Amino acid sequence: MTVKQRKIVLASSIIALSFGIVPTVSAMHIMEGFLPPSHCILWGILCIPFLIAGFFSINRTRKEHRKTLLIFAMAGAYAFVLSALKIPSVTGSSSHMTGTGLGAILFGPAAVSILGLIVLIFQAVLLAHGGLTTLGANTFSMAIAGPLLTYGVYKLCQKMKMNRLVSIFLAAFLGDLFTYCVTSVQLAFSHPSEVGGMAASLAKFLGIFAVTQIPLAVIEGILTVIVIIGLESYAKSELKELGYLSR
Amino acid sequence: MLTIDKFSYLSKLRYINAAEKFSFAVITLILCVVSRSVCAAAITLFAAGFLTVYKGKIPLFRYLRYLAVPVVFLLFSTLAVFVNISRTPLDLFAVPVGSFYLTGSRAAAAEGIRLILTALAGVSCLYFLAFNTPMPDILNVLLKLHCPKLLIELMLLIYRFIFLLLDIASALSCAQASRLGNKDFRTSCRSFGSLLAVLLVLAMKRSNALYDAMESRCYDGTIRVLNETYPPRAGEIAAIIGFELLLAAAWLLEVYML
Repeated sequence: MTVKQRKIVLASSIIALSFGIVPTVSAMHIMEGFLPPSHCILWGILCIPFLIAGFFSINRTRKEHRKTLLIFAMAGAYAFVLSALKIPSVTGSSSHMTGTGLGAILFGPAAVSILGLIVLIFQAVLLAHGGLTTLGANTFSMAIAGPLLTYGVYKLCQKMKMNRLVSIFLAAFLGDLFTYCVTSVQLAFSHPSEVGGMAASLAKFLGIFAVTQIPLAVIEGILTVIVIIGLESYAKSELKELGYLSR
Repeated sequence: MLTIDKFSYLSKLRYINAAEKFSFAVITLILCVVSRSVCAAAITLFAAGFLTVYKGKIPLFRYLRYLAVPVVFLLFSTLAVFVNISRTPLDLFAVPVGSFYLTGSRAAAAEGIRLILTALAGVSCLYFLAFNTPMPDILNVLLKLHCPKLLIELMLLIYRFIFLLLDIASALSCAQASRLGNKDFRTSCRSFGSLLAVLLVLAMKRSNALYDAMESRCYDGTIRVLNETYPPRAGEIAAIIGFELLLAAAWLLEVYML
């Protein structure tokens, strides 16, 4: 090989390597620019009532106790850090928690909508997960639909006097699955298939993303249970402050 | 740990007026997404990359690696867009599987390429903003756009707390790793769970201490910060307007040519 050839081989292998380092299999953030503009606006508008509800709920509690703003901020930062940490995985690829389940159980769905919006903005700008135009769609699936379902399942299980840990697992697991289903619906809705239309497209998206999302949902459920066990054993007073034990 | 944040403070474009950078990124982004034009996307991809890497002096390989972050998502989703399962083969390719075909059409392939380019152009706009503008500057722009005060204040606090918590988390995971906390999958799950639990406890402790400190310094519910401002320059604004016009022209040209 001549020097020139060697240089070309080196350069091309560096480029290949820089692309080949396994990118993060993150929770299903729809990437920037993937949705057509009408859908971006549509999902954004769908989010607004929930965000306003969350906004008023935070504003009200802030008026009552000034300290709650700091607690909310800490909760938001916690949710961000949660999604930035690599979780243990079997395959060696790096993956992240969505944290929606834990957030909804600890902080309630109203606060999670606003915190989720902020966390998604930070994730887009600081971690390159998600994007600005797809913010509405991502907020809807991860900060509204998922947490609402988690909270509903959790409350339902409590009503049915189920084992606490089982109900937390179910709530987090189902919330995660629901997030993934909503994202698939959003994707299918914006890119219907040529053959079979939206239903076929939905089936394809669900099928392809199931490979990564179902194991992740199970892991997320287990981790949420472990975290809650840990919190209940040595953070009773902090949990009371968040209103988790009284709820 | 947050590489993008670190680079945004080191960028050579950091001291350009933040509103200019913000409007450049957002308007270009919207133009790309609305037009879905291949030309506009290609121009944007090149221009944003050039500005970030050449003008901002962000290392090229880091930039490329970050561009590759959403590639898994992109590959999976575009695959779903242009591979169909059907009984009749379409015109581009068809792989028989049993009595069905895995098949795709030319139109869908073109659509897939258009989608990939638009998405990558969008990501490059986002990166232009993220790699060259520190978060407090972006918040300042949002404040000028009349975002609700509560939201901005929460974002400011959250931004501050993220680094506190990341510090604690990295210390905890270092301690766990040095005690064989990740020796197999079971232990690492347990360690991760206890890390998160301890992290929440410490976070609450920190926020309590912070509240006490702020209260003792007359915190009345609002946080006032001084901002450094860099005035916008006429030449830069003209360049931005020129670029957006160029994009629009490329889009119109493509619409008329095809």
